[in-house]
This record gives sequence, C-alpha cells and structure tokens, in this order.
Amino acid sequence: MDWFAIGRELSPKARGIITFCSFLLPLAVWSAFSYLPFLWHPLMEVTESGDSRYFRPGMTVEREAFHQENARLSSKGSVPVKGIPVNPVYLPAPHEVGKAFYTAFVTEPRLPGDPWLHESLWHSIQVIFWGFLLSSIIGVPLGILCGAYSPIARLFEPFIDFVRYMPAPAFGALAVAIVGIYDGPKIAIIFIGTFFQQVLVVSNTTRGLDRALVEAAQTLGAGKLQLLTRVALPGILPDLYRDLRILLGWAWTYLIVAELVGAKTGITAFIHQQSKYKVYENVYAAIIMIGLIGLFVDIMLGVLGSRLFPWEKDSKPGIFTFISKALGFGKEASTT
Amino acid sequence: MSTEEQLVDYREQTPEVKRYFEDLRSREVVLKVEKLGKIFGEGVGATEALQDVSFDVHHREFVSIVGPSGCGKSTLIRILAGLETSTSGSAMLDSEEIRGPGSGRGMVFQSYTLFPWRTVAGNVTFGPEMMGKSSDDVEKEADKWLGMVGLSDFKNHYPHQLSGGMKQRVGIARALANRPRILLMDEPFGALDAQTRALMQAYLLQIWRHVDVTILFITHDLDEAIYLSDRILVLEANPGRVEEFVEIPLERPRKPDQFLDPRFLAVRHRLDVLIHGEFPEEAEELSFIGGVDRFGEVDAD
Ligand SMILES: Nc1ncnc2c1ncn2[C@@H]1O[C@H](COP(=O)(O)OP(=O)(O)OP(=O)(O)O)[C@@H](O)[C@H]1O
Ligand SMILES: [Mg+2]
Repeated sequence: MDWFAIGRELSPKARGIITFCSFLLPLAVWSAFSYLPFLWHPLMEVTESGDSRYFRPGMTVEREAFHQENARLSSKGSVPVKGIPVNPVYLPAPHEVGKAFYTAFVTEPRLPGDPWLHESLWHSIQVIFWGFLLSSIIGVPLGILCGAYSPIARLFEPFIDFVRYMPAPAFGALAVAIVGIYDGPKIAIIFIGTFFQQVLVVSNTTRGLDRALVEAAQTLGAGKLQLLTRVALPGILPDLYRDLRILLGWAWTYLIVAELVGAKTGITAFIHQQSKYKVYENVYAAIIMIGLIGLFVDIMLGVLGSRLFPWEKDSKPGIFTFISKALGFGKEASTT
Repeated sequence: MSTEEQLVDYREQTPEVKRYFEDLRSREVVLKVEKLGKIFGEGVGATEALQDVSFDVHHREFVSIVGPSGCGKSTLIRILAGLETSTSGSAMLDSEEIRGPGSGRGMVFQSYTLFPWRTVAGNVTFGPEMMGKSSDDVEKEADKWLGMVGLSDFKNHYPHQLSGGMKQRVGIARALANRPRILLMDEPFGALDAQTRALMQAYLLQIWRHVDVTILFITHDLDEAIYLSDRILVLEANPGRVEEFVEIPLERPRKPDQFLDPRFLAVRHRLDVLIHGEFPEEAEELSFIGGVDRFGEVDAD
C-alpha cells in the first residue's frame, strides 16, 4: 500500500499506529535526553565532596567548574570530588513528571488558603466556559446574520475586522478598570479574544452555504424567515459546530494571558508558584494537563458531533475518529 | 441532400397524432411567455441571454427546450421559476404574472440539491411543511410520492446514501409533493449514465401520465427530448431566440422501439439541422484530429 499517495486515507490500523507515534516520538526524544547520561546533561551533581571545601553532596555545578576543582584537588594530591552528570532542574525526566501528575494533586498548598491544584484547574475551566459561552451567545447569531444578509455584514464586518487585529491582552488593564479585579476581566479577555474571530468565521461559514439549496427551498415555497431557520441554519450546522470546536481551542490559548490579568488565578497561578519554588515537575504536569483537558474536550465534542449530525459523511478521520472508534463510539457506516 | 430525400417529412402527422394535438391546443394555456428578454450586466459587458422569446404551454403538455450551449435555456427556466428576473416582456402562469419563486412552479435541478440534513421523506415533506400543512397530511403525501418514484424503502435514508438516479427521483417527488401546476426541469438527467437515464425517462413518462402536471424540460440529449415531448422548443444562441417550435409526430404512450421510427429519425434530423447548421456531415469532417494535422503541416514549414 502506498503511504504517500496525495489525499489518500490510510487504513484504520495504520492511522492508529501513526497517531500513536505522534505522541511516542516526542516522548522518546525527551526520554533519551533524560536517561542517556552522554546526551546533553550539562551539569554535575556532587555525590561525594572528597577534600573539596566548596562542593557539598547534592549540589549541582557546571561541568567546567567541577573539572577545574578536580584538577586543582588532584594537583595537590587530595581526594577528588565525585559526581554524576545531570540535566538542569528545569528539565525533569518523564517519570518525575509522571509522578508529579499524582503528587501535585495530593500535595497541600504551601501557604494556607492557596488553592489546591484541582481547585486551580476548576477555576480555569470556569473562566474559559463563561468567556466562550458569552461570546458564542452573541457571536454565533451575529455571524449567521452577517453571513445571510449582506447589509448586516456591511454594517458589522469592517469594524469587527479592525478590532480583531487588536490583541485581546491589550485590553487587560481596561477590563480590570471596567469589570473589577476578580474573574470579570479574565472572562472579558477570553470573550474579546474569541468574539471577533467568531463573528467572522461563522459569517464566512454561513456564506459558504450552497446557494442552490436556498434556491431549491425558494421554489418549494419557503419564505424569508423559513429560508433562515429551515435552510440556512440546518445547512451550516455541522460546519458551525466544527468552527466552534476550533474557536474553543483558541479560547484555551487565551487562558494563560487572561489569568495573568489582575490577581493571578487558576492554573496560571499554580504554574507561577511552582516555578518560583523550582518544582518544575509540577510545572510540566500542569502544562500537559491543560493540553490533555483541551484534547479530551475536543474528542468528546467530536464524538458528540458524529452523533448529532448523522447526515454528515465521516469527513475528518483523525485522532478523534481513531480514539472514538477504539472506544466503540464511532458510528458505523450505514449499509443497506 | 441524400439523407433528407430518404426521410419522411417530420411535419406530417397521422390522424391519431393530429387529433392529439388538436385536443392539446384546445386545453387551457398554463404558461404564457411573451416577448421575454434578459440582459445580464450593463454597458459594454452586457450579455443578451434572451431576446423576444414567446411561446405557450398547454395544460398537461410535455415541452422540451433544446439549443446550443449558452443559448439561455437555464436563464429562461430560472426566470419562470422566479429565481431570476427578466429585463423585458412577461411570463404568466395561469394568467398571473410571475414575480419571484412560488410553490406553483416546482423545479428539479441537475445537481439534485436535496437537503443533506433531511432524510428522503424529510426532503419530500419540505414543501408541504413550508405551506403549513399538518404533519399527518404531510406524511401521507410523502408516502404517496415516494411510492410513485419507487423509493418507499428508502424513506429514512439520507441523501448521501443514495445513487444519482435515486437522488433525482427524490428531487422529482419533492417538487411534485407541492402539487405544482408546472414542473420545471433543468437537465435533470444530465449527470446520469445512459442506462439510469433511460430508466429515469420511463419513470418520468409514467409519472407524467398519472399526475396532473405540465412539464417543461431542458436537455442536451435530442433523442431524449423527442422521446419524451409533445413539442420541442428550439432556441438559437447569441442572443437566445426561438428558432422553431417542433411538434413531435409520434403516438403516445411512447415506447423505446419508437427510437427507430422513421418519423423519429426525421425529427432528429430536423433538430440536428436547426442546432448544428445545414450540413452536419461537413461539420464532422472538421474534427479535432484533422485540425491538429493541419497545425502540424504549418509547423513543418
Ligand atoms: N448570472 C449571470 N451573469 C452574467 N451572464 C450570465 C449569467 N447567467 C448566464 N449568463 C449568460 O447568459 C447566457 C445563457 O446562459 P444559460 O446558462 O442560460 O445557457 P444554457 O442554455 O443553459 O447553457 P447550457 O446548455 O450550457 O446549460 C450565457 O451567455 C451566459 O454566459
Ligand atoms: Mg443550462
């Protein structure tokens, strides 16, 4: 079978293997750098200080300094320092991060009153949820109207196009001044980051509706309002859903900036704290967790989508179809 | 011209056919098109797609429109459907001026245009639903029309699960479910293979016999036009004008063996002359291969 035929889809098994590799490869590289002492490992961790007056067990020092010290000690005939090559503290090994996934959740916050990790995560999810929901409540209908009726598009789109080039974080200080220092400004930033793109994306999708379907409906006696609610809306629904999935991904990327506005909160606050304490395993664990939650939500939405729109041909085979098939969610191609 | 001498006169009609047309002409006029004109664009870039097109279609008549590509067939039928506006003249359905789309005129498109989010039954009920009919009536209607096009077993399928021929049968059922006065069809079988096409022609004739509907049918296939129609409206191009309105001198009901009837061949020849010019044989000589050879000679100089 030709794996490199343009546009050709692979068999489900081959697809699965490659999907697996897409995660396995980075992990392998990471492991190699972590567990093979001759790869990188720019520092030395002192295990026995020998006759050195400065080096203490547990210290990590530059390789060069370590060798100079030993050269100095051996020229005097003293006992040399012993050590092992290590990576900097900001590159923990996979197993350490893996362990942190568990320990981060059960470790009590250092300062009383600080949130636990799960509380931080939950807080972040809420911020995203509200920001995205508020944006969608206004953005989706407005986008559909813009796509359907050109006077509305002409009225709104030029200005929205202009605003969307202003980076959402730039509104941070303003947001604090207007909606206060708690979650308001954070939600506002997610809103600003999502909304303007959303209107344009949704209006584009609506405009992409096959004109012939509208004409067919007209010849069948559909009126103006019916064309909107009974043709345009169901016609774009699967694409609209796909748009929202992608936009939700964008909203995630605004999360970190949003949480820096005003008082740091949520997962961002956790990450900053942990890096201040130099517990980098936890930092990595938290970052990966953001990714995992995003991926999980996306997969769930994908599974839901294939249920919601049975008339759609399975058009986007990817990680989502693979996993949902593996989980037994995949809809079977109906044969008759 | 030798072929013409051997052919019978396409205008000669047997008494039976004559009676048929007399009866047809005595029926009310459903569609009246008068001096219809359409110009796309303005100024230098303007295209005159239709010029002074006039013709009548009688109740339960089957009329085909043929003509060279770009002669304005689609434009004409889209104006009749109300999807396009004319720039001059008028078109009237049952003496009522056509302004915008309406359920009195059903349309079947070459590209099927089924609603992908609706099942086969859902597509057929779309029109009646728009009319605000009760869901019980609507469902009964759908069953009836799906039975008529032989798709009762597929009522819960989605369009993407159907073959081209099946899709177009749904398209026809969907248009008929609104009980239109006239069915407008723009190359409905253009995308189908020859076999499916022949089958669909048989279907369409059968439907037309049993349903009280007038049909206006665009096609590129002259044999198809002759086989199906009572009359054929031949358009010429640039600008689109009526060249001739040909009466088909063949008895009904039509059967496939009529394809070999000398009167069929005579009409066919007449249409060829109207559309491709007086000497179709000669036109064939100037075929693509010949042209290439000549270019080769020029290059050799
Ligand atoms: N929307 C439009 N804007 C400008 N010109 C148009 C438009 N639609 C059609 N035309 C022009 O009008 C003329 C008739 O087009 P039309 O599609 O009606 O031809 P047709 O007979 O259906 O051709 P075909 O047999 O290829 O389908 C063509 O010259 C075409 O370029
Ligand atoms: Mg056409």
